[in-house]
Amino acid sequence: MRGPWSLLRGSLTGALIGVTINDRYASFVTVHGSSMLPTLECHPAKDRALVSRLCLDTRFGFSRGDVVLFRSPTDHRELMVKRLLALPGDWIQVPSAKEIRQVPEGHCWVEGDNADVSWDSRCYGPIPLGLMQGRVTHIVWPLNRIGRVERKMPEGRVMQR
Amino acid sequence: MGLGPTKQQPSESFPPPQSKRRRQCQSPALDMGTRNHLWLGAKRILTCYLVGLTISDRYATIVSVTGDSMHPTFTAASSSLRGDVVLAERSCLEKYQFSHGDIVMFKCPSDHRELFVKRLIALPGEWMFLPGSHDIIKIPEGHCWVEGDNAASSWDSRSFGPIPLGLIKGRVTHFIWPPSKIGRLDTKIPENRISPV
Repeated sequence: MRGPWSLLRGSLTGALIGVTINDRYASFVTVHGSSMLPTLECHPAKDRALVSRLCLDTRFGFSRGDVVLFRSPTDHRELMVKRLLALPGDWIQVPSAKEIRQVPEGHCWVEGDNADVSWDSRCYGPIPLGLMQGRVTHIVWPLNRIGRVERKMPEGRVMQR
Repeated sequence: MGLGPTKQQPSESFPPPQSKRRRQCQSPALDMGTRNHLWLGAKRILTCYLVGLTISDRYATIVSVTGDSMHPTFTAASSSLRGDVVLAERSCLEKYQFSHGDIVMFKCPSDHRELFVKRLIALPGEWMFLPGSHDIIKIPEGHCWVEGDNAASSWDSRSFGPIPLGLIKGRVTHFIWPPSKIGRLDTKIPENRISPV
């Protein structure tokens, strides 16, 4: 009995499953801005990346060097993508201020790969881990850039707790 | 010896289709029907669970209050029953409809696994009188100041400073339990905290 009612029910269920997957497991995000060059590009075509939300569960699987998605501390409606360099308790060297800061409990330090144009923790300080929205794992578009987004740490900047 | 078509008698190994079907349906008939029912039941439960999850993630969720930092607005967990249970709505997050005096639920800035419930005192860009002193601070962009009603035992912005709005996960609007308190939460706008600059 495949009438229009059955089709409607099927699409509603599909939409429900899609929304749940998007909110809790994985979703896609489009990159704007060049603060993460060369890892993520927005010219000539905006990269589209896969964001895993599995890391947001109780085990909170973020590692130093992951590229993370988080809500901007200065505008909660905006999402930002940067690399996570330091976890709570780590000491990080801030080159511009020639100082070493300790990341407070419950916070983390994020920086963009393109240091010249990136607006990140060097400007607004460590951000609470509660702002995290996921971890960028792969680039899915454009086709010539498909692949994993690798974990990378700058040399000699972070002393782990 | 004719070249006409020969007619084979049906043998025991090839029973006519009708009785075969009936035989298959009769002995496991209960299993087929029960299996169908179980499958339908499982699908319904799964759909209800997904609908519940989606509503809880995006529209409104139910929270049990613990701790006494919001006394007397919320009563702490007693020994027999858990504390007040309230409804927290999430639509405020997208429409950016926070107002002074709202009770908000947010992730603790020093421990992202914990959820706090406090009252919103000041919004981004406002100048606010710090409690207990004559100092005025400006709330940075994208941040807000939260305080518990029970100033004596509340760990809030007076300790950890203004919090980013991105940590807010909902706004408490109604009581659900205990029955004597069921209904809308009374709004209480804090007085004399915002400095008109």
